Amino acid sequence: MASSIPTTREAVIIGGNRIPFSRAGKKYVRTSNQDMFTAALEGLVARFGLQNELLGEVVGGAVLKNSRDFNLIRESVLGSSLAPATPAYDLQQACGTGLEAAIAVTNKIKLGQIESAVAGGTDTISDAPIAVGDKLRRALLQASHARGTGDRVKALLPVLGHPKWLAPETPDTGEPRTGLSMGEHQAITTAKWGITREAQDEIALKSHQNLYRAWEEGFFDDLVTPFRGLSRDDNLRGDTSAEKLATLKPVFGRGLTGEDGSPLPATMTAGNSTPLTDGASTVLFGSRDWAEERDLPVLAKFVDAETAGVDFVHGHEGLLMAPVAAVPRLLTRNGLTLEDIDFFEIHEAFAATVLTTLAAWEDEDYCRDELGLAGAFGKVDRDKLNVNGSSLAAGHPFAATGGRILATAAKLVHAKAAETGTPARALISVCAAGGLGVTALVESA
Amino acid sequence: MIAVTGAGGVGSVAGAGAPPSYAVTELAELPALGGLYARGAVGSVAKRPRADVALPPAAYRVTDVDTTGTGPRLAAYQRVVGEPASDVLSAGFLHVLAFPLATAVMVRPDFPLGLLGMVHLRNAVRVLRPVRLGDDGVEVTAWAENARAHRRGVQVDLVAEILAAGELAYRGVSTYLAKGFTLPGVGAAEPGRPGGSADDGARPRTSGAGRDSWVPPLPTARWRLGKDIGPAYGAVSGDRNPIHLSSLGAKAFGFPRAIAHGMYTAARALAEVGPARRGDAYEWTAEFFKPVLLPGSVDLAIRYASDAGADVLPGSAGGFVYDGWRTGRAVRHLAGAVAPL
Repeated sequence: MASSIPTTREAVIIGGNRIPFSRAGKKYVRTSNQDMFTAALEGLVARFGLQNELLGEVVGGAVLKNSRDFNLIRESVLGSSLAPATPAYDLQQACGTGLEAAIAVTNKIKLGQIESAVAGGTDTISDAPIAVGDKLRRALLQASHARGTGDRVKALLPVLGHPKWLAPETPDTGEPRTGLSMGEHQAITTAKWGITREAQDEIALKSHQNLYRAWEEGFFDDLVTPFRGLSRDDNLRGDTSAEKLATLKPVFGRGLTGEDGSPLPATMTAGNSTPLTDGASTVLFGSRDWAEERDLPVLAKFVDAETAGVDFVHGHEGLLMAPVAAVPRLLTRNGLTLEDIDFFEIHEAFAATVLTTLAAWEDEDYCRDELGLAGAFGKVDRDKLNVNGSSLAAGHPFAATGGRILATAAKLVHAKAAETGTPARALISVCAAGGLGVTALVESA
Repeated sequence: MIAVTGAGGVGSVAGAGAPPSYAVTELAELPALGGLYARGAVGSVAKRPRADVALPPAAYRVTDVDTTGTGPRLAAYQRVVGEPASDVLSAGFLHVLAFPLATAVMVRPDFPLGLLGMVHLRNAVRVLRPVRLGDDGVEVTAWAENARAHRRGVQVDLVAEILAAGELAYRGVSTYLAKGFTLPGVGAAEPGRPGGSADDGARPRTSGAGRDSWVPPLPTARWRLGKDIGPAYGAVSGDRNPIHLSSLGAKAFGFPRAIAHGMYTAARALAEVGPARRGDAYEWTAEFFKPVLLPGSVDLAIRYASDAGADVLPGSAGGFVYDGWRTGRAVRHLAGAVAPL
């Protein structure tokens, strides 16, 4: 099938580097987003000999940012061994941040605007911003705009009368428009699709087993730089079992009612939902010429990408279902079907997110009515799904997940192509808050 | 289990004004609610349940309402109920704009039902054209009509109409229950029984069994309402009924804690549908069940009528239905619809 994509030059993936992901409140307490991103970036610089290198651009971001982090990525570049003249900017698209950063820089490479780039992301729950309430904030702003001490005191006086205004507001994973947490949203989608607890626990178990195996095999040896005494993702439980996962109590979806009035089972636990995590990741891209001039490895091509949004606010669609719509558009545009994909990297926000995604693609009516396809989109071969683990085992520092997946996918297709002598492809799918989805296609180079 | 609002929920939308037999009294400006409450409280004491409930054939009217001056209050109202910042007066704001005039009717000595303790059962509104901040020639008229039996007393409609440049822009019907009162010659009756008063069509009908077997749909939103929401909506609406302001005030009227204004919850549902989806002209209905105790958590299903299998307004393109209930319990707080006309 002919591709409908205009011809540009290739953007290739040279390699990636991240720091181990750590559960919130553990190893990376008192470590800032800038600390973590700089560490991941410095590891990348060291790995590929980029000291004093002037890169075309470094792009990344964080979902939870302190206001002082307005130029987070540029500040990280200035604190790194890259040439200080390397430009940088911040970007944020919730959990799609890291992958969207990759789309941004690879498009510039493809267009010939830049020769090289780093994309990535970082997030911390342990060092998350604490905001003051709106009433205190308004009083403080009014005081800062006041002319003279008298007005300033007058602006601040109401605060004395309302000590409750001083209570801090911590960020949560609630959707601003609905007030439901991401887990509650997914629980509703899970219930609509009738995804079982057992199927979710099986995904979680596979994630841990696969990530553990990959670590043991040394897959991450050239993808991760130890940080703060941590050399492996500390959420990983190589010894977990279906029995252990089955003992966990449901945390989302309690109190939902079926149409007949009977309670719907709550199936989502801490075991089959991603934990809150700290971490940072980076991926190095270049034009093929740039990589070859420096004798750098070329793992894969960043072929194409597609984003989508869904109408979730009034319950027409599930919050995390946007990648379901994006992937058929991405593959069709590239003349591909699910059969042509060797590795499926579907971000495990929740095990149920992966399962509803797969179920939707297999559903004749859904694909026709909601996606506008002729019939069911197809079936994903489970043996090709998240073969080296995903977010349930590794953890999910929001903006850092895209970079983690991209580096893994690039290495996987590279190894597979070397082994078989034929091109290998990986499909990446990341769901995000706000009903967003970011997907990408990577092919061995 | 779907709340459906039938057409004609606001009765005649022709904007006929008050019934022809009513005497219209023109007031110079919209009255202040504070004074009305004081009169209402005092008057309520005298208004004991009696055998003959007859409504005063009287309407109040204010011509040339100053809409420009309501700017700061409109902005505050929009913040509280979640309407996007706009110079268009939403249906909820038009309701609170007309509310003092309706209250003035209810505190008349010849209005037979006591203001205090009246329960807001339901509300049906049609906005026929947008009213904007700064519009001249805005005229508000309010009256009471259609006293009829309810199984727990007497229900009555407070009607408010707002004209802009001589054209009907808004018509709202607020149905209140006065407990314990009875109508002459009518026994206690269930609400919404066949018989066809104007607002019967406005009641969300539950398909199948009665209200006891109501099953909550899957939620689309959750509201965590703090104690401050009663005073906050009280400030922007002017409705400072003590049951909304403090536990103490609520206890005096038999509630365990302060309760949220029903119109706050309905206005927030209206805001969540939003101006882009309801259009310039729309219908907005609400029925109130168990009050929302503050603080409290309310689960909502604010759904496309098509997704809910509901037919909101025959011939209307789209439309939304909403249900609200106590988080984790099948205790229903409110239901209604928002549909473009």
